[in-house]
Amino acid sequence: MKMNKLIGVIAAGALLSSSVYADSIGYITKSATNSGWMMINQGAADAAAEAGVDLVTVGPTFQGDLSSQLEVFENLLAQGVNAIAVAPVDSSGIAPAVQDAMDSGVAVVAIDTGVTGAKVTSFVATDNYAVAKVQGAYAATLVNDGDTIIYVTGNQAQSTGQERRNGFTEAFKTARPNSEILEVPTEWNSAQAQEGVEAILNARDDVKMVANAWDGGTMGAKAAMENLGLSAGDVLLVGFDGATDAVEAMEAGWVHADTAQMLYQMGYQGIKTAVAASQGKEVSARIDTGFFLVTPTTAQAYKDLVGIK
Amino acid sequence: MLGSIIIGVKMTALRLQDKAITHLVSFFRKEWSGALLAILILSVAIEMVTSGKPFFHPTNLMTILNNSAAIGVVAGGMTLVILAAGIDLSVGAVMGMVAAVTGYIASYWGIPAWMAILCGLVLGGLIGALHGTLIAYLGMPAFIVTLAGLSVWRGSAHLSTGAQATPKLPSTFDLFGRYNPFSGIREQFQSGELTGVMETFGAFVDANWMGFFRTFQMSMIIFVVFFILLAVVVSNMRLGRYIYAIGSNEQGSRQAGINTRLYTLYAYVLCSMGAALGAMLFLGRAPYAKSDYGQMWELNAIAAVVIGGTSLFGGRGTIIGTFMGVVLIKLINNGLTLAQLETFWQMVVTGLIILVAVGIDIVRQSKSAIKVQQMLGVVAIVLALFAALTPLSALISSVISLHEHNSMMAMQNAGAKMVSYQYSRLLDETGVLNLHTIIADTWMLSLALLALVAGAVFAVIKLNKTLSYAMGIVFVLSALALIAADMAAAAPLLILGACAITGLPAVPYMFDRARELDSANG
Repeated sequence: MKMNKLIGVIAAGALLSSSVYADSIGYITKSATNSGWMMINQGAADAAAEAGVDLVTVGPTFQGDLSSQLEVFENLLAQGVNAIAVAPVDSSGIAPAVQDAMDSGVAVVAIDTGVTGAKVTSFVATDNYAVAKVQGAYAATLVNDGDTIIYVTGNQAQSTGQERRNGFTEAFKTARPNSEILEVPTEWNSAQAQEGVEAILNARDDVKMVANAWDGGTMGAKAAMENLGLSAGDVLLVGFDGATDAVEAMEAGWVHADTAQMLYQMGYQGIKTAVAASQGKEVSARIDTGFFLVTPTTAQAYKDLVGIK
Repeated sequence: MLGSIIIGVKMTALRLQDKAITHLVSFFRKEWSGALLAILILSVAIEMVTSGKPFFHPTNLMTILNNSAAIGVVAGGMTLVILAAGIDLSVGAVMGMVAAVTGYIASYWGIPAWMAILCGLVLGGLIGALHGTLIAYLGMPAFIVTLAGLSVWRGSAHLSTGAQATPKLPSTFDLFGRYNPFSGIREQFQSGELTGVMETFGAFVDANWMGFFRTFQMSMIIFVVFFILLAVVVSNMRLGRYIYAIGSNEQGSRQAGINTRLYTLYAYVLCSMGAALGAMLFLGRAPYAKSDYGQMWELNAIAAVVIGGTSLFGGRGTIIGTFMGVVLIKLINNGLTLAQLETFWQMVVTGLIILVAVGIDIVRQSKSAIKVQQMLGVVAIVLALFAALTPLSALISSVISLHEHNSMMAMQNAGAKMVSYQYSRLLDETGVLNLHTIIADTWMLSLALLALVAGAVFAVIKLNKTLSYAMGIVFVLSALALIAADMAAAAPLLILGACAITGLPAVPYMFDRARELDSANG
């Protein structure tokens, strides 16, 4: 008898709390400290505020930590959120958790990085491979065939890193088949980029350009040039992300091209889609948030567009 | 007459041999010999595979030192704590926090850069004092206190600076990093302001700029000076002696009248201040200040200390060993980047090199002839294995690809659903045919080389003189066979292996002789 009452109270409490969280969207970000991710997170927060939903934002304890991401994923499911927007640190590692959520009727929107091995409600991202091809093709126009260049990679155990590297290399090699591409491997760490670029630039004086998989690498490569006493333009820099500091470095003559993802849009569209899906609306399975090729001539237009002052 | 000459020559040869043995023994008595040996082997290997400027070029070596500076100073502080039988897991977070806060107040508070730097160093000292107090006076385990610190200080760093990058830092910070003491002279020379001796010197600097002076920067100078000072402190001052004493026997030290708590506290304060100085050195080369600097540095710092021959249980180790450890870690990064080794291989190779360095150290400490023989033997076996891998890897990968292709076909027939890229293991007909040719071409040579490896294992287990010499000859013959089979690249491995395995019987003799010499010299 007493037991029944207790269960009743708990059930009522659960009902109440679930009604409190009726309009909550879980948002699992990849990083809260990377400048690019901060723009995505801002977009996500703005979209949630606009739609009047409660956004539960959680991030991994350090960038690239799959186990903590899986844990927060399960916690969010247990809390009873209506939809989850997730930026997977590992495309296939997250798949079982995504499958569980989808099976229990919770919409899952993947942001920035796709999920392999499980279906998601929608995938909101720049097509990294396609944008990297644009980056590679444009970078090729900045050097002559036969010139040596450096490419600073992202983490090669992640699809984002692989796609950017493959896209860049393919497009660049097509246009400049006799050029040598030296690689500096990193795990999205600008200190690794700086050290690697510094080592190669110091050992070889025939390098004409440093292309980067993300703008943290671009800033690391710029620091490497400064450390070796090189000036802006001695070695061309090409970035990826359109981060504020890289665009500023472009105006100072260091960076010569940058393929910008519409980072803010990615977060904004991602949460919008998650909200729509949680309300039972039909959403597109693939939303391409586009990109912007920033060059010294288009830098101002880009700054106006994304609101860099 | 002739007889006496022969005896004389023999005597000289013996004396030379004794000298060599003495030098060898005194080298391996040093804690850092493992790290140094690994550095040398690795450098030669990288030199052989890199193009462009030679690896041993002074500017490249200085670049390695420049980039070792920040983590090096952190590891230097860590050495003190580990010598005192403690551990500090928070150094990376402390480094990140000090870097972020120093950069932040220098950029946004408008206080002079040198003041900000001073504040940063004081902040590091205070954090260390807090850790030290909790550990030494409240008796909390160092592992727990600094593990908590790792989280607390990283979080505080993000909180206090909003996890945002600062603008470019004032040029005062360059004095800890990229500032080149010769750049002023070079500029003056180029604008023709110098006269007399200074002009000659300026011309010399300018002419050798790219070949030497370009990378002669403050990072490297501070790094080297810091380690010299630290080594002097540790080996000559009371602080150092007490830290060793606490590390090897805390109870005993206390009974001997050492204020163990106070000196433990000092160790943690110095360690955190090392982390703070490391932050300044890092800022001197970095594009901006940010609170996510120094992630995983605690692991790299501990690795450097251990590679340098310092015992994790305290009481035994040297500062110069840590120096070598840091340089080895950075040398691996630099060399593997220049060698353009594939990313995932870099991770594997990095781990293996660390294992080798520590392995040498363990054998060194055992002071037993058999252990040294076993290690030499393992070197020979590994070299033979590497040589065998030249045909063997082609064979194994072909067999695996073929197997994967077959099982894929089976799974496909059974109706398994898979994502598109997982089908990339399926091959077309020519692919399958190619694999069959590779297998047919390599299996005999692979088996023969595997037999060689087995023979080497047998010889090492038996440790028999005749067997060792015989195996040496077989090694040389196999090397010739490899050259004949168009795989000359692997032949030097077998020649080295032959040297190692024929050298086996000489080891006990060297040990005996070294002991005799030792007792003869008192």
